[in-house]
Amino acid sequence: MPLDTSTYSLALLRLDGRRWNELRRLTAQISTQASADGSSFLSMGNTKVICTVTGPSEVKAAPGASGRGDEAVVSVEISVAGFSGVERKRRGKGDKRIYEMQTTIATAFQATLFTHLYPRSTITISLHILSLDGSLLATCLNASTLALIDAGVPMRDYICATTAGSTSSYSSNDEKADPLLDLNGSEELELPFLTVATCGTEDEVSVLVMETRVQVGRLEGMLAVGVDGCKQVRDILDVVVRARGKRILEGSQL
Amino acid sequence: MPREVEPSLNEKQFFVKALEENLRIDGRAFDQYRELDLEFGDELGVTDVRLGKTRIHTHITAEVTTPFPDRPFDGLFTITSELSPMTSPFFEPNRPSTTEILLSRLLEKTLRRSGALDTESLCLIAGQKCWSIRADVHVLSHDGNLVDAACIGVLAALQHFRKPDTSTEGESVTVYTLAEREPVPLSLLHFPYCVTFSYYSSTVEEGETVTLLDATLLEEQLREGSATIGINRHGEVCQIAKLGGVPLDAVAFLGCVQIALVKVKEISVFVSKRLEEEAKKRDKGGLMAELSAENDRVS
Amino acid sequence: MFVLPGEPLEPATLPSHSTIPLKLGPGLLHIPPNTITPTVAGLLRTDKRKNAVWVEFNGGRYVPTTGDLVIATIQRSSVDVFYASISDYTPNATLPQLSFEGATKKTRPQLAFGALVYSRVSLANKHMDPELECVSSSTGKSEGLGPLTGGLVFNISLGMSRRLMLAKPGEQGGLVILDELGEQGAAFEIAVGRNGRVWVDSKSLKGTLAIGKAIQDIDEKSLKVDEQKKLARKVAREI
Repeated sequence: MPLDTSTYSLALLRLDGRRWNELRRLTAQISTQASADGSSFLSMGNTKVICTVTGPSEVKAAPGASGRGDEAVVSVEISVAGFSGVERKRRGKGDKRIYEMQTTIATAFQATLFTHLYPRSTITISLHILSLDGSLLATCLNASTLALIDAGVPMRDYICATTAGSTSSYSSNDEKADPLLDLNGSEELELPFLTVATCGTEDEVSVLVMETRVQVGRLEGMLAVGVDGCKQVRDILDVVVRARGKRILEGSQL
Repeated sequence: MPREVEPSLNEKQFFVKALEENLRIDGRAFDQYRELDLEFGDELGVTDVRLGKTRIHTHITAEVTTPFPDRPFDGLFTITSELSPMTSPFFEPNRPSTTEILLSRLLEKTLRRSGALDTESLCLIAGQKCWSIRADVHVLSHDGNLVDAACIGVLAALQHFRKPDTSTEGESVTVYTLAEREPVPLSLLHFPYCVTFSYYSSTVEEGETVTLLDATLLEEQLREGSATIGINRHGEVCQIAKLGGVPLDAVAFLGCVQIALVKVKEISVFVSKRLEEEAKKRDKGGLMAELSAENDRVS
Repeated sequence: MFVLPGEPLEPATLPSHSTIPLKLGPGLLHIPPNTITPTVAGLLRTDKRKNAVWVEFNGGRYVPTTGDLVIATIQRSSVDVFYASISDYTPNATLPQLSFEGATKKTRPQLAFGALVYSRVSLANKHMDPELECVSSSTGKSEGLGPLTGGLVFNISLGMSRRLMLAKPGEQGGLVILDELGEQGAAFEIAVGRNGRVWVDSKSLKGTLAIGKAIQDIDEKSLKVDEQKKLARKVAREI
């Protein structure tokens, strides 16, 4: 059931009152689970994710398909809580969308972490999705970055992710279409959008996933807004990490 | 699960050195596709795509079913892909590998979610009867770039396929056999093809990323990142999947989209040319010519 | 002569010798008292001097036989052996770390994952993993065996690799590409493995690729002698 976004053009305000380039409220905590090697809790608006990292630890099972001996293997497990959406739904293990997300997160971090320092080991990232309201992949990537920093796994730079959309759907060839930053669940249902993750402060795109139809010309604007949003996310994550570092430093002085 | 055979050290080193000299192992240019070949089966909706040594067989079938209750006006369109042990002993039956899941997701996103097939046209009686179109993708031989080849296969098969003609009178639907009425083609709204890019960065000098098109299996095993762009010839991007891997400059990526557009136009032209040739071969001058009892006489 | 499995061989087609007993090679079955039938389809080959007969066929999978020279890929190493793969999706063969020329407990070769070695099958039993060696047990010399560095490995059919390894490939197997390349003055190194792999190295990458491709082409398109000569001239010009 499509929502009515025609009001956007009147006041240039989105359904939840944001302007086009505003992020939702992004809160993050680091080291939330005492038992895990690294953990984080991150919420982007109403999408909430808990992430725990185990490892680098020795490979448990026999090295399987991707068991290369000379570097650590990143494996990702995502579990979606039944109460996360509007309807209570049980999601099977065989969900291909979830599987695709797992591989995406795993390969993204495989290229960013210094895996060659840990031969014959695995780094397991577990993501628990508590609440779902758009930008799921982006939230998972951000939460994983924080948890991996908490676990002390060396990495090249932060992987920060966000979504970007466009106000006009594909059918209307509207030249005035504005790009939008950080879509929520109802906007995702209706508008074309992409998830973009960058590595570091340069515009280095690590993940880019788009599943909806959009004109080539509009892609550039969406990508630019998305990359810019990633920088904003990076600043917020950086504050969280630095605050945590400061606390540890103060603790050691005592 | 058997382990995938990994390329030997010599192959890796040779490949890296060759990239530095702007060479590919099979002698192609970096943005060159392998030889593409498209054959049609005797039955309608059967295609056989060859891209170098990669070979994919696609079969379209149609049957009448009941639509989903939440979408009473839409017909069904499903794509199933299979990577059997025939392709490589690495693949086991009934146990989908990562390659297989990503292949089926990419096909799903490119062809189904983008609305290539008009599912509303498959409706016969709202909420009760509709056509269910099923595309079976069988990978016969895997030498890299399955997604691009499979996409060509499915789209060509959809254009080649004809579903039986029907007529509706109130609550009853009559499906005519091929002899009774000429079967009708499916209504396709646009033709999105996939172009896959492979990226190599650490192999060459700092800060430079080499981009290859249509990677072979060896090149796929050695790549550090890839992106699949689904795009139609009108320049509508239907799907982008850069699932992790080595980071790439955003501007360079937009360049990739433009390259994809050019390639897709070439592929579209090729597929429509082959379809025309096939249609000419099949056309015997309509039903009357087929039923004619007259013999060709030499006077 | 082309034979099919199951049809008994005429005694006239078999070689006869006054003193040496008849030797049956691969693809032949002796049914007592005196019937010999092929078990595979292929070309019947005979050797009058050794009084031997066998069927030449292009089988799919390599079966290790003692004394064969193969190109193996190192998979992993343990305390005193390397595990090397001779053909894909088959159990690994073992290659003792000391079976290299001049290897002692203190100076043994370090071979990484994926390294190629040219080795001889020293033990091949039906129910055991095969064993390899890179040194002749009688002389202690490598005799050309050992790790292969640089270059590129190409896959060819088993029949092609047997043809390449004939003493006189030109006369016995109708294969003149290597001789022809040598005559044209192309400098390259080559190692042929019975397991359907051929390793080529030359001064330039282009040359290596061209020679490897030429061998693969001859195999896949079963080129005739004059076509091979033409191809060799083309390759030599490219290098």
